[in-house]
Amino acid sequence: MVETPFGDNDTASARGVVQATTLVLLVVGLIVGVALAPQAWSYATQPDGNVAVVEIQGSITGETASGVVENLREARQNDSIEAVVLDVDSPGGTAAASEQLYLAVKRTAAEMPVVTSVTGTAASGSYYAAIPSEQIYVTPASVVGSVGVRATVPASGPVEGEVVTGPDKNSGSTEAEVYERVETLRRAFVGAVFAERGDRIDLTREEVSHAKVYSGAAGVENGLADEVGGVDTAVAAAADEAGLDDYRVTRMDAPQPSLLSQIGLSAEEAPDQPTTEQVFDYRGVDTVQYLMLHGTIRTTETETEVTANANA
Amino acid sequence: MRTRDVARGIGIVAVAAIVVLAATVAGGLLLSSPTNVGEAPTPDAYDTGSLDASPIASDGDVTAPDGESKTVVVDVSHGNDVSEDAIQPFVDALVESGHEVRFYGGASNTGIGAPTQSGSPFNETLRSADALVVVSPAATYDDDEAAGVEAFADAGGRVLLAADPPTTTTSDQPISIPGLDTGGSVSAAGQPTNLAGQFDVTFGNGYLYDMADNANNFQRVYASGDGGLADGVEDAILGGAVPLRTGPDASVALSVSDATLSSTRETGSYAVVARTGNVLAVGDTDVLTSGMATTGDNDAFASNLAAFLVTGDKQPGEPSNGGTDGQQPTGSGAMIGSAASAGSAGIVPAAD
Repeated sequence: MVETPFGDNDTASARGVVQATTLVLLVVGLIVGVALAPQAWSYATQPDGNVAVVEIQGSITGETASGVVENLREARQNDSIEAVVLDVDSPGGTAAASEQLYLAVKRTAAEMPVVTSVTGTAASGSYYAAIPSEQIYVTPASVVGSVGVRATVPASGPVEGEVVTGPDKNSGSTEAEVYERVETLRRAFVGAVFAERGDRIDLTREEVSHAKVYSGAAGVENGLADEVGGVDTAVAAAADEAGLDDYRVTRMDAPQPSLLSQIGLSAEEAPDQPTTEQVFDYRGVDTVQYLMLHGTIRTTETETEVTANANA
Repeated sequence: MRTRDVARGIGIVAVAAIVVLAATVAGGLLLSSPTNVGEAPTPDAYDTGSLDASPIASDGDVTAPDGESKTVVVDVSHGNDVSEDAIQPFVDALVESGHEVRFYGGASNTGIGAPTQSGSPFNETLRSADALVVVSPAATYDDDEAAGVEAFADAGGRVLLAADPPTTTTSDQPISIPGLDTGGSVSAAGQPTNLAGQFDVTFGNGYLYDMADNANNFQRVYASGDGGLADGVEDAILGGAVPLRTGPDASVALSVSDATLSSTRETGSYAVVARTGNVLAVGDTDVLTSGMATTGDNDAFASNLAAFLVTGDKQPGEPSNGGTDGQQPTGSGAMIGSAASAGSAGIVPAAD
């Protein structure tokens, strides 16, 4: 019979070591578990996705449109964003910038649900931006429509002390060509409205081309808008479209143009009420401006007229 | 032995690092979602071939018939919203054909003590004229002048009355002096209402538009008619035309069908050119301007207008009421004719 190297005492000692080790490992496991618990909790309770609210507010210029386009691109690229709500309150702006917004919204709508909430005015260029959305929510007092284009033509003719290399260098085009371009832009605008919402609009193309604005209630009736509801309703609808039961809302603010670049003047000369030309024109030159803008153009003449009336 | 152990250690580290990096790259490639998936949707509305507006043909010339030289007086004495520059193609055509065009800017002597016993200087001017053009007057023609125009037309003189929708604009007058403001700070492009009324024609309010069939703008409507002044005119293009209402003595020469009147929003056929004997009323002034005179069939229409003015047979000396027979115009009008260059003739501003 071979004698074991350890006696009974040794066996008990080894068992104790094993138990102690087990206990230590258990404690370590608990500590690790507790340390990871917040992450696990966060994972378990995290929303299914985000609904991004993208603002389109104020006059649409190249600068503000770029900001909105950037926000929409971010919404498309961010995996956590599953749907977009456009918060629209704008009278429109330049034709080119409005078309950029239309294309950006259209591309976003091809990838995820996009719903518009008209929180004030969706007229002209801003309505153009809203039409690719699946639904347009309005309130009875909000405004939709003004599907039309205008061109502001500066006084043409040679300027004294200036040498140009061609007859159209000043104005850029003849009057007839301005008419053609405005008509082309109108056709594109009206065509886009009917391409996106033709199945819902109860107006003819001619009636839409009148460029009327409609109250939200009337817009729901004639198909320029879909339903009455606030921005929360729009968010809920967008989440529902995206299949989100549990979601978080992320707001992407409208880019605000700096006052200086907005009026193209130095701070000392900044007027309280810049004219339309000052808002949309380039600094230093008058150009033909193609605008998708709702409302009466503010010019220095109208300013003078108002002043004259006030003095009378 | 030591060196071999070190080399083995370095090799293990290198292999492990490569495995980790390879796994990371592979995992990234497999698990990452592409950020810009898919192509941008094509906007259908931008693809249609009918998107580009067709240019409106702008060729042809305004012409006037040759023959006996006639004198055409363009009245600018009533604040008329017209200048030689504005109706250049029309004036050029008349002058080229050997006719004489005068811009009557009012009597040169309008102060206190001006001779009134000889009647209206306006009527005196008509006496030596064969045709009268009245475009968008701001001031009303008084009874004497209206009677003179009627007598002028009755005697065979040709009269062209043209007007746009009435407008009111503020003038550029920068300073108004209290007490001396005679209301001149507001000028208006009006309509020769009382002249037209004598000839069974009235000018309407508002402008005509057509949202569906137009010359690249809803306000540029197509007008057409049969024979006479519409000869050769299939589609005259009027810009912001005003409709005419005609009485039994007047006949419609050109009309716009399926147009809508801006003030009433009623759609229908509207007369835009009407003729009563020797008087022609045109509900648009743009057709005479250099920008529009050759657009579409406007050259044919403007040529017909010029022919209308110089093909009358007016008795000399009419209207006979007021003034001295045979007296030459005393107005400060500029004469444009075969003896004077049309391009260099000055324009006399309208007298107050």
